Amino acid sequence: MEQSKKPEIKGTNIGIGELKTGNFIMTSIGLGSCIAVVLHDRKRSVGGVAHVMLPNSNEKKDRPGKFADTAVPAIMDELIADGSNKRDIIAKIAGGSSMFKQFKGNLDIGGRNIEAVKEALGSYNIPLEGEDTGGSVGRSIMYDPGRKGVIVVRRADGTCLEI
Amino acid sequence: MELTEAQLDAMKELGNIGASHAATSLSTMLMSEIYMTVPEARVIDISEISEHFGDEIAALVVFEIQGEISPGGYVILHIPKDSAINLTNTMLGSTDSDRELNEMDESALLEVGNIMVSQFLDATAALLGVVMLPSPPAIAIDMSHAAFASVVAQVAVDINEIILFKTELSCSTHNIESTIVMLPDENTLKTILSLLEKIIS
Repeated sequence: MEQSKKPEIKGTNIGIGELKTGNFIMTSIGLGSCIAVVLHDRKRSVGGVAHVMLPNSNEKKDRPGKFADTAVPAIMDELIADGSNKRDIIAKIAGGSSMFKQFKGNLDIGGRNIEAVKEALGSYNIPLEGEDTGGSVGRSIMYDPGRKGVIVVRRADGTCLEI
Repeated sequence: MELTEAQLDAMKELGNIGASHAATSLSTMLMSEIYMTVPEARVIDISEISEHFGDEIAALVVFEIQGEISPGGYVILHIPKDSAINLTNTMLGSTDSDRELNEMDESALLEVGNIMVSQFLDATAALLGVVMLPSPPAIAIDMSHAAFASVVAQVAVDINEIILFKTELSCSTHNIESTIVMLPDENTLKTILSLLEKIIS
C-alpha cells in the first residue's frame, strides 16, 4: 500500500548482526544487502527483529543475528521462551538489494541473503506474509508489534509502503 | 581485534599522508582551499555502524584495493547528497543546487573519486613500500548505511569488528564535505601493521 505521507522511522534500532525481541517499536535503518527479518506473534502482539548481514553462519554461534540460518531459529527460540506458540508466528522481511552493480564476481550478497532467509523460514514452517526485497535501493523499516505486525518501509528514493 | 594505541597512531599517520594527497588533488580540481581533519582510526563493532552512517542519502564511490595485497579491502569516498551536488556543480559550471543527482553527476563523482583515491592509495602504498591500486570504481547514491554495510558485508564474514579509518575533507568556499574511509581486509590490516612496525623501528 503506497502512502503519500512519510512516517518517521523511530524506535529501538537493531544494528547489523543484532537481534531483539519484545513488545516495543523496533527499527532497522539503512538496509542495503542486509535483511531485516521480523517474526511476529499475532496473538500476543510481541515479536522480534534480526538485522541479518550474511546468508550462512558456517557453524559460528557467537552472533546469531548476523546470519540468515541462525537468526530465524534464534528469534523463534526467544519468542517461544517468552510464551509464544509456534503456530501464531508469522514472518515479514525487507532488504536484500544489490547496491553496487559494477562489482562483478563479488557475488550478489543481497540475493543470497533473500534466498537463505526464505530457506530458513521454510525449514521452520514459518509463513512469510509480507516482503519488500531485492532491487537496488536501500530501505529503513519500522516494526510496531502493537500494530498487528504492520511494517513501515521507507525506501531511499522516498517512497513509503506498508507490508 | 585488538589494536594498541601505538598501532592506531601509526594508522592515523598513514591516513594523514594518504588523505593529504587526496586533499591536494581535490584542491587542484576545485581551485579552492581544502580543510582536512586529523584522521580517525578506531575499532568499532558492526552493530555500531549506524552510529557513524545513518539513512541520509549520500554518494558512495567504492574501490577495491588491488595490487600486491589482494584481496585488500576497500576505500570509500563518502559525499552527502548536497555536497555531491555542490561538487559537481562546481566542476561542471552549473548553479542549480535544488535537484537530484543524475547520470552526469555520477560520472563526475566517479572521476573525482578515482583521482582522489588513486592519490590516497599511491601515497599510502609508497610509505609502506608495497603496490596498492584501486579497482575501477563503483558508485551508489543511496542511504549511507545501506551502501556502507553492503561493502562491510564483503569483509566481515568472520569478524564482528571493523577498523573505521577515516578522514574528513571539506571545502567551505563551495560548501562541500566528504569523507575518505579505508576498510582493510583482515589480512591487509595485519600486513599494514607489520609494515608500519618495520618503518617505526
